[in-house]
Amino acid sequence: MLDAFSRAVVAADASTSPITDLSSLKAFVAEGNRRLDAVNAIASNASCMVSDAIAGMICENQGLIQAGGNCYPNRRMAACLRDGEIVLRYISYALLAGDASVLDDRCLNGLKETYAALGVPTTSTVRAVQIMKAQAAAHIKDEPSEARAGKRLRKMGSPVTGDRCASLVAEASGYFDRVISALS
Amino acid sequence: MKSVVTTVVAAADAAGRFPSSSDLESVQGSIQRAAARMEAAEKLGGNLDQVAQEAYDACITKYPYLNSDGEANSTDTFKAKCLRDVKHYMRLIQYCLVVGGTGPLDEWGIAGGREVYRALNLPTAPYVEALSFARNRGCAPRDMSAQALTEYNALLDYAINSLS
Repeated sequence: MLDAFSRAVVAADASTSPITDLSSLKAFVAEGNRRLDAVNAIASNASCMVSDAIAGMICENQGLIQAGGNCYPNRRMAACLRDGEIVLRYISYALLAGDASVLDDRCLNGLKETYAALGVPTTSTVRAVQIMKAQAAAHIKDEPSEARAGKRLRKMGSPVTGDRCASLVAEASGYFDRVISALS
Repeated sequence: MKSVVTTVVAAADAAGRFPSSSDLESVQGSIQRAAARMEAAEKLGGNLDQVAQEAYDACITKYPYLNSDGEANSTDTFKAKCLRDVKHYMRLIQYCLVVGGTGPLDEWGIAGGREVYRALNLPTAPYVEALSFARNRGCAPRDMSAQALTEYNALLDYAINSLS
């Protein structure tokens, strides 16, 4: 597994040269506290994010919970919730490390083949991941939707910079997109 | 590759945990030390050739027998390769400064080193001498700040200890 720093090291080692341009890594360090807040925003809301995404996926496609659907008995629903949590967990690791290798190596490698063998519908899985992507962006920006959350509205209260942590939102979205492209 | 972040992520993954507050605290520690490490990495990266050359010269001065026929520094090719080895170590130390962990030295320098040097009949002592010279050569604040020098020296000590 690599992180943002060892990724630069691997690239430099390919030409056996020392790392001369440290500016992007210095920027990573300078924005470190925002990154930790972003990871915290996801980890602290993980349970809600997963259950809401899986429930949303099912509400949009009721066939999943009818006989023959892939969320039909409790056992399958539990497996689905567990998978949602696992995917979100590896994305939180990738966001903490600033590199996708842990997500690729330990989660996505072989996932599509596994789902194909088990008959898990990837279009539905992609929809659940899309919902989690939207949630993650809202939590990192600390702008959860008041209209949708109602009384359960939850704000992190962490100081968010003027651009609402746009670079971290973009990075996290990139990891969700990676999951989507690995499945489709 | 071992660094602060990969260590905490691997531990969290083994337990199936989301990153917890203690994980985030560990990364925070790495961020706080990063300025010193980056300074040392920048200085070393910019002067790697000179640093390696001095360290190489020092070990040949200490062990002149290496220049005799059949020894490890006897031909131009051998000399170039000795200097290159020292340069490799210094480069891996720069990588370690960037990463904030010993991963690059462990994986690309230390693993298998003993077997290689033994099989090719390369004495370890000159390596130790070159690295020791580099270890004692640095001076704060002439070369870099005191904290940066501490980070730099700690990695040289790590490399020296791996050879002895």
